Amino acid sequence: MFSDFTLLLLSIFIPLSAAVVLFFGKSLGNSGVRLISAIGFMLPAGIAVYLWMKFNAQENLIDGFAYVGGCDLGLRESVGITLLLGLNGISMPLFLLAGIVGLAAGIHAMYSQAERLHLYMGLLLVMQAGLMGVFCSIDIFFFYFFHELALIPTFIMIGLWGGEGRRAAAMEMTVYLTLGAMLSLLGLIALYGQTGWDTATGFSLIGLRDYFAHHTISEAVESNIFALLLFGFGILVSLFPFHSWAPRGYANAPTANAMLHAGVLKKFGLYGLVQIAAPLIPHGALAWNDWIVWLALGNILIIGFVTIAQSDLKLMIGYSSVMHMGYIFLGIATMSVVGIGGAVMLMFAHGISVALMFVLATAVFNRTGTYDMKAIGGLGPKAPVLAGFFVAASMASIGLPGFANFWGEFTIFIALWENHPWAVAPAVFGVVISAIYGLRAASNIFFGSQTKAFTDSLGHREIGDITLAERAPATILLVTLAFIGLWPMGISQSIQKAVEADPVYTHAPAKLAERDNAPAINIADTEASLPGGQSL
Amino acid sequence: MDTLALFNILLFIPLVSAGIIALFLRRGGIVAAGVSVLAALGIAVVSFMILFGWNGEPLGGDHYSYTWLEFGTYQINLGYYFTYESATMLAVVAFVGFFIHVFSVGYMDDDQNKGRFFGGLSIFMFSMLGIVLASNLFMIFIFWELVGFSSYMLIAHYWDKDFAAAASKKAFIVNRIGDFGFLVGIAWAYHYFGTADFAEINALIASGEKHAVTGIGLLLMCGFLGKSAQFPLQVWLTDAMAGPTPVSALIHAATMVAAGVYFMVRIFFLLTPDVLEVIMWICAAMAMLAGFWALGQSDIKKSLAYSTLSHLGYMGTALGLGFPGLAIMHMAMHACFKATLFLCSGSVIHACHHEQDMFKMGGLWKKMPITGTAFLFATLSIAAVPMFAGYYSKDTIIGAAFGVGAETGNSAYYGVWALVLIAALTTSLYMGRMFYVVFLGKPNSEKAEHAHESNLWMTVPLIVLGIFLSLGAGWFASSTLDFKWANGEMTAMLPTDATTFMMDGYDVAEDGSHAGDTAHHVDKPHHGYGGGFTAAHHAIDASGQKTMLEGSSFAMMLLGFIFTFFYYGLGPSKDKLQTQLPGLYNALAKHGWFDDIYDWYVAEVQERFANILATLDQLLISGLLVRGTAGVAGLFGMVSRSLHVGNIHGYVYWFLAGVLFFGAFALGML
Repeated sequence: MFSDFTLLLLSIFIPLSAAVVLFFGKSLGNSGVRLISAIGFMLPAGIAVYLWMKFNAQENLIDGFAYVGGCDLGLRESVGITLLLGLNGISMPLFLLAGIVGLAAGIHAMYSQAERLHLYMGLLLVMQAGLMGVFCSIDIFFFYFFHELALIPTFIMIGLWGGEGRRAAAMEMTVYLTLGAMLSLLGLIALYGQTGWDTATGFSLIGLRDYFAHHTISEAVESNIFALLLFGFGILVSLFPFHSWAPRGYANAPTANAMLHAGVLKKFGLYGLVQIAAPLIPHGALAWNDWIVWLALGNILIIGFVTIAQSDLKLMIGYSSVMHMGYIFLGIATMSVVGIGGAVMLMFAHGISVALMFVLATAVFNRTGTYDMKAIGGLGPKAPVLAGFFVAASMASIGLPGFANFWGEFTIFIALWENHPWAVAPAVFGVVISAIYGLRAASNIFFGSQTKAFTDSLGHREIGDITLAERAPATILLVTLAFIGLWPMGISQSIQKAVEADPVYTHAPAKLAERDNAPAINIADTEASLPGGQSL
Repeated sequence: MDTLALFNILLFIPLVSAGIIALFLRRGGIVAAGVSVLAALGIAVVSFMILFGWNGEPLGGDHYSYTWLEFGTYQINLGYYFTYESATMLAVVAFVGFFIHVFSVGYMDDDQNKGRFFGGLSIFMFSMLGIVLASNLFMIFIFWELVGFSSYMLIAHYWDKDFAAAASKKAFIVNRIGDFGFLVGIAWAYHYFGTADFAEINALIASGEKHAVTGIGLLLMCGFLGKSAQFPLQVWLTDAMAGPTPVSALIHAATMVAAGVYFMVRIFFLLTPDVLEVIMWICAAMAMLAGFWALGQSDIKKSLAYSTLSHLGYMGTALGLGFPGLAIMHMAMHACFKATLFLCSGSVIHACHHEQDMFKMGGLWKKMPITGTAFLFATLSIAAVPMFAGYYSKDTIIGAAFGVGAETGNSAYYGVWALVLIAALTTSLYMGRMFYVVFLGKPNSEKAEHAHESNLWMTVPLIVLGIFLSLGAGWFASSTLDFKWANGEMTAMLPTDATTFMMDGYDVAEDGSHAGDTAHHVDKPHHGYGGGFTAAHHAIDASGQKTMLEGSSFAMMLLGFIFTFFYYGLGPSKDKLQTQLPGLYNALAKHGWFDDIYDWYVAEVQERFANILATLDQLLISGLLVRGTAGVAGLFGMVSRSLHVGNIHGYVYWFLAGVLFFGAFALGML
């Protein structure tokens, strides 16, 4: 009925139209608002799942992209911009991520107690439209444009529906994110500039790939452009030490917004590095390689310990999310098929699991009236199903096998040994850190005896178990995590195809080893040359 | 049926059981129990089908392998590698696991959360079978983490109790510390060998293409130290007794903790003699120390937990001495008698309405004759009374240390022999104490007064595991000994392939029927290296001191039983050691002050470090940098004001200038 390209277009325009209807839909009433929102979130999710299911069977790919189509908006002649959409093996899982998390966040928001629900849902739908657009844009202008489209509602939503510290949080977030967005925009424009603003090449990923495959530019320029992209995207992804906006921002954002931002929008920067920056200007990526590793270890170890110190559940989730970005950056730093594969898997898994944690944290708050973990205790027997969800979600987020996150983390650790063996031990130490804060949270909130403060605050109030409105989004997310946990090929196949087809990722590791002026640093190898083959 | 299909079914049964219980039977009570017990029965049946249908050829390779995840040449396989050591382990897990499931039905009869408990048991069986069958390092790590999770979940069964909450957390985190080293070791091993597959690594080492690396071995050993609770990660095991008693029997005594030993045996080919020496010393010391620590506990389960530590130490010692087969044999014997001891303690605790203090029991022999008999048999077995199961493995380990010392002339082995010989004394000390205090004399509390024998769900497993196997498990394997029971017919009752590894270890390589580990043949530290029970006995015989060795072990056993009989008396209500020598008792109870040291570390070092970093993060990064940014903006404002362009156009110019600056930077002009 529809061409696949039309479906991509629809996945953007359905939520956008639903948002427009809602903005003028003050008189719709809550059930009307919910109906329109449901359409606005379910259809993109359905489209994403449908396209994902048939993705691996696609033939006639254009430079690895399936479902490609474009609309000439009249900008092609002048500036080389077209609305060019399509999905490749890397963007497919993230497009699916946007659909699934969007649906979960949408359901959660529909039944939240937000005032002016039509505005709230409208803004969230604008965000959703932007998110679907980010990951299916081949044209870099629109890739950036959709990111901004999704970002602006964040500021508004925190400002209007945020928590107590919303002003400071919104301010900090705006300063950081605007800076990050500006730097990355400059980097992207500079990339285009390297082609001499050739409108025939265009500002599209396919065009630029083709151009950079046949033209060499100086390593210094590559390095400078990569720096802009690394730190620009890095700020947006809360790369250490540009992370401090994230935990406080999320803690003060309304739940659905935090789910979409931490879960999906934050992947924009990582996606930009994996899909655009590293493949186009690999020498820049190699030049900044050690920086990425060091800063990522900062994310894992320093922010890991900071996470341990948090007693506020939402701040803890925010910091743990910052910490997990470190693993993904490490995966990117490997520049290898395995490492990038692991990084994209973890991007997907982290997006789902952090959204799930926010749903459950809000469910805890709805029952206890506090996010302070030290003031709760013993919630488990009162809300056993919620406890089950929370323990499962914590386990997923700390990388227990059986859930999607494990595959990404594990693969990154393995890949990291190839060129940065010294970084493996500090990175893996993260699994101990995350076990400490993850289990502490579950234990403080759900296990043991009730704290006196909690008992007092309850009074005679009865606490119920998880409600259907909380359970539905949590189930969607947890099932996804377990499904990919059992069948990682579900998303890894497409990633594998895309990454293996990229000459940069197949050749960069050897370049890295060369640069380090030694065959892949492997202590074990050196001993083979020891006299008599003694072991160390 | 194809063995591959049987392996698949084996993993599938408990997974489905856990799934059904989690989704539909959370409040299912007895139905959930039924599903889980049936699953355990299914596992036992399928396991024995596999064992009886197997011809001793290692099963593995591509046919037994599915790709789970792949990027480039990196592959994580869900694969099976079935060899003699896995045959023994499978028999133990399936057999003991089934009877503990049955016991649980009786023990948990009054529990409100049967669904969670039995679902957890099924997840555990799934994960444990995965470890047994795993064909590669990646896969064993996956299931390794999963047993850790099921252990966590079951320790936290009484989740409204603070001690259970703390114990479950501790168990998981301490295990993760071990897994930290394990994981780094896997990354190293994978890159060094170019594969994670056991059979392939073995072939590489055997052909001399690659050498075993001590560093890799030591890192992988960390996983063993965590799971099998050896120094310095032993602290979680006694706390883990917070879980229901069947869990303590199955997971924290018979199978999961032994998985650490199994893993070391599985990768024996990539452990260098140096790694084995480290394992030997750690474990021999733990065998002795934990034996003494068991005397400082009045909680019956905690005392047994130290006994488990001590016996895991024995297994590690056997491994470190270079007898992987003997280590697996002691694992199997220990699974029978230690499961019995825990189940008996469960039966007693259940009868005494969850009283766990031994000194509030007493005189239970008359009230609970079946439990008492099973406990007595298991006691004699663990103390290595001749003919009982424990005798064959434990006394052989003790003697083997001496034998290896005599062969190599290395006096260090005599030190190990002394440690495990003293450990044998502690065994009969704490077991004698426990038996006299709990079962003899007069009841010391109201609860013990009204105790009566448990129901059939509980007594049948006690009869099978306790009376039958604690006595006779060794006979199945004893056909190569000087004496044969029933003309060696006993061995025919079990699939012989399940006992081959205990007897021969990796020595069967000699006749070509097993992959073996020829790499070690180059620099074998001693003759029987890589072997099992038979090789160990050769070492003992060769030393010419067989009588002295048997005699000294026997004397230690007798000494312990006799001393405790007179020292503690029958059914005392107070620990005499505690009243007479409180200093010594407290020292034992503190079990080396490890908990205090770790608690201090967590509270004073880790927490403070985390808090300092959190404060710095707030102050420096968010404070300085953001204010810094705002400050920079303010500076721009001042500059622009001073230039009298403090209006919107001025900012636009500044902005453009900045863009040009960055653009020029990016284009390489600056």
